[in-house]
Amino acid sequence: MSAPAYFGGVTVVTALGIAAAMFLRPAFGHTVLQWIGLESIPQAAPSSFYTVRVAPLLEAHCTSCHGAERQKAELRLDSFAAVLRGGKHGAVVMPGAARDSSLFTRITLPVTDDRAMPPSGKTPLNKDEITVIRLWLAAGASGTLPVKAIKGAPALVVPVKMPELDLAAVRRQRAPLAHEVSRLQRRFPGVIHYDSRSSADIEVDASLKGAAFGDDDLDALVPLRDRIVSANLSGTAVTDASAPLLASMKALRVLRLMNTKTTDATVQALASSKTLKVLAVAKATPGTLAPLRQRGVRVYEDLDVR
Amino acid sequence: MSDSPVTREIPHVRVWDAPTRLFHWAVVILIFISWLSADQGLMTIHLCSGLTLLALLLFRIGWGIVGSATARFSDFLHPPRKVVAYLRGLAGGDRQLYAGHNPAGGLMVVAMIAVLLAQAMTGLFSNDGLHFTGPLALLVSDDASTWLTTLHATIFNVILLFVWCHVVAVGFYVFVKGDNLVKAMFTGHKPYTHVPADAQVFFARSYVAFLLLLLVLTIGGVGWFIIQGGFLL
Repeated sequence: MSAPAYFGGVTVVTALGIAAAMFLRPAFGHTVLQWIGLESIPQAAPSSFYTVRVAPLLEAHCTSCHGAERQKAELRLDSFAAVLRGGKHGAVVMPGAARDSSLFTRITLPVTDDRAMPPSGKTPLNKDEITVIRLWLAAGASGTLPVKAIKGAPALVVPVKMPELDLAAVRRQRAPLAHEVSRLQRRFPGVIHYDSRSSADIEVDASLKGAAFGDDDLDALVPLRDRIVSANLSGTAVTDASAPLLASMKALRVLRLMNTKTTDATVQALASSKTLKVLAVAKATPGTLAPLRQRGVRVYEDLDVR
Repeated sequence: MSDSPVTREIPHVRVWDAPTRLFHWAVVILIFISWLSADQGLMTIHLCSGLTLLALLLFRIGWGIVGSATARFSDFLHPPRKVVAYLRGLAGGDRQLYAGHNPAGGLMVVAMIAVLLAQAMTGLFSNDGLHFTGPLALLVSDDASTWLTTLHATIFNVILLFVWCHVVAVGFYVFVKGDNLVKAMFTGHKPYTHVPADAQVFFARSYVAFLLLLLVLTIGGVGWFIIQGGFLL
């Protein structure tokens, strides 16, 4: 046999082998055809039922094993084209026939079944999620059908994403007053706290100090006054002498003065506060409290709202 | 004188020893078993075939140092320019004879051993995210194991490419050059016309192969004991 004849034969046999593989593994076939441009790559519209309702479920339950990093059974479910392409065992989606689609049948098997998806140990889809998949398949597994076109889908539950705590940023915010806070915390144990782990705002709670905490002690907190958002001075020896200081607290939202010797004078001093939201006082006349109430400040009298 | 036709058998020369031939065909079978078992999700079989392949590869590396003449790396590892010169000669119809692997074939052997070794090693650290975890997967992070699993799958495609190249090249010798390398790899013998007249082919003793295999299995056994005993965790 001549070399050209041999390599011609090799080319033919190789081409036949690739064609057979494309036939036996349709997913591979679609990939090849799409790669060489003989088949268009299906795209889902951004506002389609697939993108809004189905894709997030696949992302949450399936793509850790059927995604970019890992392709169990040569199946990817991280794009509309990949979902339609299927995997090693063929198509997983039969448009219009949910019960013939392994994407649906696998997620409805009992967890004790070896073929159940997601596999045991992973969170299974709940009833609403399964309904979403079923309705989408029954409606033709479309990538363009808008959300409202598929009736009967359970309401969309949007998970709340908590922002990640940036401890370095919190440290930077606290830095200017950190030394003063530390010093005053040592002087008044249990009285001064940060509002939360993610905040540089300060809460003051001197109620447990009782009569041992007076105007002079409150005056010692002057370096922190711009950061104090809540002050519970109920039961302390604080008097109207502290009214100017309380009124100068630019961030104060909650102030409790139950069972103190403060009077209308303190309430009047607080009338100009733009941040105050909650005020609890022991003695005040209704006329004095009226402007605060008109501004939407919740005012409590003669009871401890702690 | 008899008028009957006389069939004259061309004398054959022994070029391949038994360990080399057994290694070759065992690797063929193990690659097939490994592919089939992974495809069907039979991961215990896949693990066994992979470990056997790894042991055979380590044996082959040792045999390439202490084995028979045609099995030694020093016999078939040539500088790139010699490989290119050989291929140029082949394309021009001028073929140099070699008792064992020719320079291009030798390069293929080394490349194939390297890629199979990489495949076996990555398999040890891989996991399928479900029911199977490679024997050494717990020694690395999840991310590393996942990455090595992806690499394991990718290397398989390289192996397929190498196998295709190997089969096409062997077919070229068989059908175009009339040199039946497949038969030689079964019988261990080549027609003397396909072997250089001055070829110095020597064969290592059988007990050397046996001791080498024993060494590999011992290392493998100790390794398995250490891994299964959790001494590395």
